[in-house]
Amino acid sequence: MLLKRSYVLGATMVALALVTTACGSTGGTSGASSSPKGTITIASFNFSESIILAHIYGDALQNKGYTINYKDKLGNREIVGPALENGQIDLYPGYAATDLTFFEGKLGLTADASSDAQHNVSRLNAVLSAKGIKALNPSPAVDQNAFAVTKAEADANHLTKLSDVSSVAGQWILGGPPECPQRPFCEPGLKQTYGLQFKDFKSLDAGGPLTYAAFRSGQINIGLVFSSDGGISANNLVVLQDDKHLQQADNIVPLIRSAVDNTEVTALLNSVDSKLNTADLTNMNKSADIDKNDPTDIASTWVKDHGF
Amino acid sequence: MLTTGVVGAVTDPWIRWDWTVRHLDVIGAALAQHIELTVIAVGLGVLIALPLGFLAWRERFLRGSVFSLTGILYTIPSLALFSFLIPFTGLSILTAEIGLVSYTLLILVRNIVTGLDAVPAEVREAARGMGYRPLKQLLQVEIPLSIPSIIAGVRIATVTTIGLVTITALIGEGGLGSLILDGLIRDFKTPLLIGTVLSVALAMFADLSLAGVQRLVTPWARGTAAT
Amino acid sequence: MTFIGQVIQWFLNGSHWTGDGGIPHRLLEHVAMSGASLLAAMLIALPIGIVIGHIGRGGNLAINISNIGRAIPSFALLVIAVELGFGIGAVPAFIALVALGIPPMVTNSYLGMREVDADVREAARGMGMRERLILWRVELPIAIPFIMAGIRTSAVNIVATATLAALVAWGGLGRFIVDGLGQQDYPMLYAGAILVAVLSLIVEFSLAGVQRLVTPVGLRTSKSGKEEEPLGTALDTAGILAA
Repeated sequence: MLLKRSYVLGATMVALALVTTACGSTGGTSGASSSPKGTITIASFNFSESIILAHIYGDALQNKGYTINYKDKLGNREIVGPALENGQIDLYPGYAATDLTFFEGKLGLTADASSDAQHNVSRLNAVLSAKGIKALNPSPAVDQNAFAVTKAEADANHLTKLSDVSSVAGQWILGGPPECPQRPFCEPGLKQTYGLQFKDFKSLDAGGPLTYAAFRSGQINIGLVFSSDGGISANNLVVLQDDKHLQQADNIVPLIRSAVDNTEVTALLNSVDSKLNTADLTNMNKSADIDKNDPTDIASTWVKDHGF
Repeated sequence: MLTTGVVGAVTDPWIRWDWTVRHLDVIGAALAQHIELTVIAVGLGVLIALPLGFLAWRERFLRGSVFSLTGILYTIPSLALFSFLIPFTGLSILTAEIGLVSYTLLILVRNIVTGLDAVPAEVREAARGMGYRPLKQLLQVEIPLSIPSIIAGVRIATVTTIGLVTITALIGEGGLGSLILDGLIRDFKTPLLIGTVLSVALAMFADLSLAGVQRLVTPWARGTAAT
Repeated sequence: MTFIGQVIQWFLNGSHWTGDGGIPHRLLEHVAMSGASLLAAMLIALPIGIVIGHIGRGGNLAINISNIGRAIPSFALLVIAVELGFGIGAVPAFIALVALGIPPMVTNSYLGMREVDADVREAARGMGMRERLILWRVELPIAIPFIMAGIRTSAVNIVATATLAALVAWGGLGRFIVDGLGQQDYPMLYAGAILVAVLSLIVEFSLAGVQRLVTPVGLRTSKSGKEEEPLGTALDTAGILAA
């Protein structure tokens, strides 16, 4: 009878839905079961280097028996920072000067990041302790904002440092991530420290494919890249020297919630940090962005190679 | 076809089989999430559209407003609709589902009304004559006869939803859309292609399956040319 | 200040109405791009659909290709256009939008042409009418409501997908949404969403009006006057995809 058939159909569809829901995995939980050592949720920003670093930390911790939950490509700092503050995540690989400036800005404090990594980290701890967040030891590995132009442009206009740009800035278009007009180390900083006022700003990505494509098609003259990016030379770009020191020491530093931290975790992450260097970052980035290898694979290789 | 990637001079083939084979779990998870988001959206859509459609059918003065409201929801681009929700429901599966469900409503409600409308007057008369009370008549005569139309609506709604789920990648969900987004963010053709092909395949599969269901529940229409 | 207050403040801010990043410029970009790609899509899709519909052959192939085309997520089309090497910004956006606009119009114009009763066509041929006249005087008038419905669907889809094109470094109203998400500037996000929604509704309703205007009086359907494509026909298989 028609009615019965449609009931069967309906029941089947509901059952299918339930089965699919049960089988579908949406999270990134690794590790077999909750260990007595607890779970740590690690987030990464929206670019390969961050994912690699997050998984380096995570793999090392996992090898020590912790259960790791990943929130990869969670977003930019405007999303990840608050997530750490309200406990949605426990740890992320930060950049000393940029994170310091970000949190100081949120609290209305004057930015005082410097080229001294230790100073930046102790300031971070001072600012974040009230929120139950700790900054551990900075790594010698550095990745900071850099501004690049095409090699052709640099040769044509004899550009080696950012101050050189002042003569042409008025006709130039700056490319960067959407938050660049708000970030002190980006557009506002260029204006304040170098007096550079550009004709226009093009919202792209943080030193990613859109930025490189914009260079290629001549849609931007100068763009934000990251100093450890794998694609800079591959795209015939040159980084302009930061002669007036707009960028401060953006060493890699783990930002972790005190509630999740303990002696073992601190010692382990500090040890990992000490073994990271900028050359490592550049190579790993190239492996991920140019050679299209998996950030997670790259991370586990590094962890194995360095005995973690 | 150009194989040069956007970044650098390295060629990035449209499909790297080694990557594909090593990432079957990631691909599978994306597909499963895609199906899950779709089923929830269409399922909830039907649950909401049934009473809404019935009301719109019964009370003619409501019909205009119901169609207008669901029509407006349907016309608003998905990214905008999600944006209206984000400040309140965040970058979450709730936001995704509220948006996805909204898109199903116009199609489902419209098909429910059309289906109920299409029940021949004589059948209704006969039922009344046989002593069927209104609720029984609705449940045992009118809705069953509307089912072909409802299933046609579910079919369109499902295909539409499968396409829209990809956009939820921009608010942290994604299904196959996360493969497509990965392709954009990493300038990486393989996940882009796989995400797109699977999305199309899933839509076609759903369309054909539901067409089959449609044929199953209308034994009286099987003789005539099916669509 | 309440959130709605912040959104209103955003609209009241004069600087948001000037310059390349201002509302008028973004709106113009959006409308111009949508119009141009719709036109280009029409120039490609309508002849194909009409001719195939007139000849009566190749229809199934056309519809099947169209269906596959319509099943491609609009987001994927944009990224594919970029990855095909068309760069970023306006060029891949235009290409993706044209590609997006073609399928609904091919399907609908084909189906519209097929709506003509075989008898009517036979009679016209029997009367000695030339093929071209049959197409223009007999088939097209009947097909027009369907063609308009296809144009309308494509137009709304194009306007919606143009919003997404901001993700591949284009401008348009989607810029407010994408940048709002990137900067976590929710008033801007909301303002962008409102602008996009209003534009889409204006496009939808004005084209619905045009559709009604060009529908020959004798063929105007329905009661509520708001009824669109007939349901339960093969149009269902084509589906209606929003972006």
